[in-house]
Amino acid sequence: MVDITGQYMLNLLLNGLLIGVIYALMALGLTLIFSVLGIVSFAHGEFYMIGGYVVYFVLQRFTNLHPYFAVLIAGLVTFVIGFIAERLLLQPLAKGEIERPAEYAILITFGLAFFLQFLMIAIVGPFPKKAARFFDLPEISTDILVTTATTLRIFEVPLSGNRLIAAVTAAILISATIFFMAKTWLGRGLQAVSQDRQAAAVVGINPLKMNTLAFSLGTMLAGMSGAVLVAVFSWVPWVGVPASGKSFIVIVLGGMGSMPGAVLGGLILGVVESLGAGLIPDPGRALAYKDAIGLLIFALVLLIKPTGLFGRDL
Amino acid sequence: MKRSPVIWVLIIGGIAITLALPLILRDKQYWLFVATQAYFWAILASSWALLAGYAGQFSFAHIALMAIAAYFSGIVGRDLGWSPLSGIIIGTLVAGLVGLIIGLLCLRLRKTYLALFTIAFAEIVRLAINAELDFTGGPMGLYLEPLIQTTSYVPYYYLILGLLLGSLAFMYALANSRFGLFFRSIREDEEAAAAMGVNVVRYKIMAFVVTAMIAGLAGAVDHHFIGFIAPSELIIGRMSLVIAMAVIGGIESLIGATLGAIFIHFSLEWLQQIPIPAALMPRIVEFKPALENLGFALTERAIQTNAWRMVGFGILLMVTLRFWQNGLIYPIIQRLTRQEAQAETVAKRQPAPVEETAAQERSEE
Amino acid sequence: MNLEVRDVVKNFGGLQALNHVSLSIDKPEIVGLIGPNGAGKTTLTNIIDGVYKPTEGEVWLNNERVDKMPPYQIARRGLGRTFQVTRAFRRMTVMENMLVPALALHPGANRREVEQKAYEVLEFLTVEHLANELGRGLSGGQQKLLELGRLLMLDPQFIILDEPFAGVHPKLQEAIYSYINKAHSDGKAIILISHDMDSIFTLSERLVVLHFGAVIADGDPAKVKDDSAVIEAYLGKDEEEDEDA
Repeated sequence: MVDITGQYMLNLLLNGLLIGVIYALMALGLTLIFSVLGIVSFAHGEFYMIGGYVVYFVLQRFTNLHPYFAVLIAGLVTFVIGFIAERLLLQPLAKGEIERPAEYAILITFGLAFFLQFLMIAIVGPFPKKAARFFDLPEISTDILVTTATTLRIFEVPLSGNRLIAAVTAAILISATIFFMAKTWLGRGLQAVSQDRQAAAVVGINPLKMNTLAFSLGTMLAGMSGAVLVAVFSWVPWVGVPASGKSFIVIVLGGMGSMPGAVLGGLILGVVESLGAGLIPDPGRALAYKDAIGLLIFALVLLIKPTGLFGRDL
Repeated sequence: MKRSPVIWVLIIGGIAITLALPLILRDKQYWLFVATQAYFWAILASSWALLAGYAGQFSFAHIALMAIAAYFSGIVGRDLGWSPLSGIIIGTLVAGLVGLIIGLLCLRLRKTYLALFTIAFAEIVRLAINAELDFTGGPMGLYLEPLIQTTSYVPYYYLILGLLLGSLAFMYALANSRFGLFFRSIREDEEAAAAMGVNVVRYKIMAFVVTAMIAGLAGAVDHHFIGFIAPSELIIGRMSLVIAMAVIGGIESLIGATLGAIFIHFSLEWLQQIPIPAALMPRIVEFKPALENLGFALTERAIQTNAWRMVGFGILLMVTLRFWQNGLIYPIIQRLTRQEAQAETVAKRQPAPVEETAAQERSEE
Repeated sequence: MNLEVRDVVKNFGGLQALNHVSLSIDKPEIVGLIGPNGAGKTTLTNIIDGVYKPTEGEVWLNNERVDKMPPYQIARRGLGRTFQVTRAFRRMTVMENMLVPALALHPGANRREVEQKAYEVLEFLTVEHLANELGRGLSGGQQKLLELGRLLMLDPQFIILDEPFAGVHPKLQEAIYSYINKAHSDGKAIILISHDMDSIFTLSERLVVLHFGAVIADGDPAKVKDDSAVIEAYLGKDEEEDEDA
C-alpha cells in the first residue's frame, strides 16, 4: 500500500500526461484515416511497431546519426508501407469494387496486422530489443527543477528523462501535423474530403488520391510514435497490439474522426490509466489491470455514446 | 433444388476417412493429436462463420468465450471438486450466458463498433485472467482434470470428432431452418427485416448465445483433454487464426469454414518442419547460412519454417479477402454440388418472356 | 380497421420534422401522400412503422397504441411498407426474400405451402423466373417488385408504398399498378408516397399534403389540387431541394 500524498498524485498526473502525448500522436493517425477513408485500421499498432524497429536498426547501424533523423526515416518507411497497403488493399474499397465494404475493411486490416506482425517475428525474431537513450538531458539545478542526464525532478517529482524526450518529440510532431492540416493545401484537401467527398471532387480534389495520402500519413504518424517510444520500452513484434487498443480507445473517447478529440482523448487516457493504476492498492493487480481501465472506459463509451465526445456518426 | 450425388460421395467418403484415421495413423500418434486439434479449431471456425457469415455479427470475442468455459470448468473442478463432465456443462452454460450479455450490449452497435467492443471485451477477459491469480492461476495457467482416464489419443479423437459432427449437424439444421433465414435477413438489412416482422433483437441474441455455447463446449472439452489452459491462448493472434480459417474456407459456409480450419491447422503443423528427402538434403545444406539468416532453421531431415508459415497464411488471408470474398474452399464445394441446380434454374428461365425487359433494364442502369 | 396518427411531433435535435400531424384512415382506400422534398413524408412513414419514436403524440393501429412498439411488432399487427431506396436482402435469393415475412408471421407454417404461395405471388408480379436469383442480381425495378412481393407475403391491412415508381421501367410499372389495384380490391388501405403526380392523381381516392412537417390539406384529390396553400407550397417554395428527412 502506497501513501497517497499530493506529491504522489502529481507524479501520477505528470507521468500520465507524458504517455498521453504519445497516445495522442498515435491516435491522430488513426483518426485521420477514419475521417478520410471512413474505416478503422486494425493494423494501426503494427505500423507503430515497425516504426520502432526502424529506429532501433538505423541507430544500431549508424551510431552517430542524430536520433531525430532516425525518427524521420521511420516515418518515411511507414509512410511507404502504408502507401503500398492502401493502394493494394484499400483502394478497391474506395472504388466500390468490394461487395461487403464494412466487413472487408475490418477483415483486410486485421489480415494486414496479422501479416506484418509475423513478418517482423520472422525477420527480427521474438526477442525484446531496446534502443539507446536518444540524448542526455542538460544539467540544470534550481530550486524547483533539478536534472541529471537521465532524470528530471520538478517540485521533487521525479520523471524519466527518456519519457520526457519522447513526449516532447511527440508534441512537436503533433504540432507539425496540426499545422499541416490547417495551413497547407494538401491538409485542407484532406479536410475537405473528410467533410464531403463529392463536394471535394467537384472542386477538383481527387478523393482517391486523398485516401492514399490520408492512410499513408496516418500510418506514418503511428510509425513515428513507435519511433519515439523505442528508447523507452523494450520492443517485440507484438508490441503493436496494445498500441492498437490504445488508439481505438482514444479515438472512440475523443470522437471518431475528430483531431482535437484525438489529442484530448490521448491525454485523458494517459492520465486516467496512470491514476487508475496508481490508486489500485494491490501493486500486482494494478500492473495487470492498467490496460483494463482504458478498455473498460472504451466499452462504456461505445455502449453509451458510440460517437464519442466530439465525434460524428459512422 | 436437387443436390448432386457428388455431395453424398464427399460426405460419406469424408466421414469414412475421419472414422478410420486412428487406424491409418496408428504409428503416428502425434498426427492423431494434430487431427483432434484440427477438429477443435474447426468447431470454433464454423461456429464463428455462423455468427459472422450468417448473422453478420463480426464478433472478436469467440476465443474469449471458448476460454471462459474452459476456465470455469477447470476452476469448479479444482475448488469445488466437480467432475469434468459437470464442469463442462456449467462452463458451456456460462459461455452462453456471457454470449447473451454480449449480444444484449451489442444490439445497437453495428459492424466496426461491434468489432471494437468485442476486441475490448476479449482483452479485458485476458487481462483479468492474468491478474486474478487466486482463481485462474494467472500467467502460469490452470491444470484441468482429464475427462477420460486414458493414455491413448483415440478416445479423445472420436469424442472431439463427434463434437464437430454433432455441432455441424445442429448448426446446419439451424442455418437451413427459418432461423437461418432470419439470421441472414438481419445480416443483409436489419431495418428491412424488422419491417417484415422479424424480431431482430431475439435472433441476434440467439446467434450470439448459440455460437457462444458451441465455442464454450468445444473449449471446455478440448482443455480437459489437453489438461492445461493459460491466458496466452487468449491473445488476439488466436482469434486472427479462427478468422483466417473461416475466411479462407468460406465465411458463409459452415462446411467451408470447417474444411478451412482443418486444412490450415494441418498445413501449419506440416510447415513447421517440412521433411526433406535425403537425396536433396546436401544441396539444401549449401544454403544453410542464408536460410538461417532469414529465420529458417535446418535440422538433419527437415526445414523449420518458424514464423514464415504464418507470414504465408497472412498473405493467403489478404489475397483471399481481396479476390475471393466467398473463400477458397466453399466455391469448390459449390461447383461440385450445384451443377444440377444451375441447370434446373436455366431450364425454368427459358420460357419467360419478361427476361428481355429485365436485361434491358439492367443495361440501362 | 383503423390507423390513427394523433397530433404527432417529431424533433431531430433542434429541427422539427413533424409539427402536430394528425391523420386517420379507417377504410380500404388509396391515400396519396405528397409534399415537397423535406416536408416530412418519410419521417411520417418511419413514425407509423415504428422506426422512429414520436417526440409527442400517439399512433394507434386497430385500437391499439403502437408508437412505443418495435417495428417488427407493428409489422405483425398489419402494417407493411416499402422503402424509398429499395432494400431487398441482397445475398439471399428472391424466394428466400419472400419466405422471410411469411415465416416471421407464421413460424409453424408448412414450408412447401409457403413456397407455393410465394411462387404464385411472383407469378402475379411477372417475376417468377427470378425465384432463384440473388437479390443483388435484380435490376432496380425488379427489386421494387420484390419488395411488393414480400409485402404480399406479409399480407398487411395497411400498406405504405414509398416512391414505388421511381426508377422503374415502364413495363414493370404496369405490374406495380396492377399490384396496387389488387391490394385495394382485396380490402387493403394504401398510403402512396410519390413524386409522380400522374400516378398519384390516377390512383388516389384521397390526398394528404404535407408541408414543413404539417398537414396543409386532406381530402378529395380534385379539390386539394386547387387549394391555394397547396399551390403555394409547390410553386412558391420550389428552390428548397433539401434531402427528405
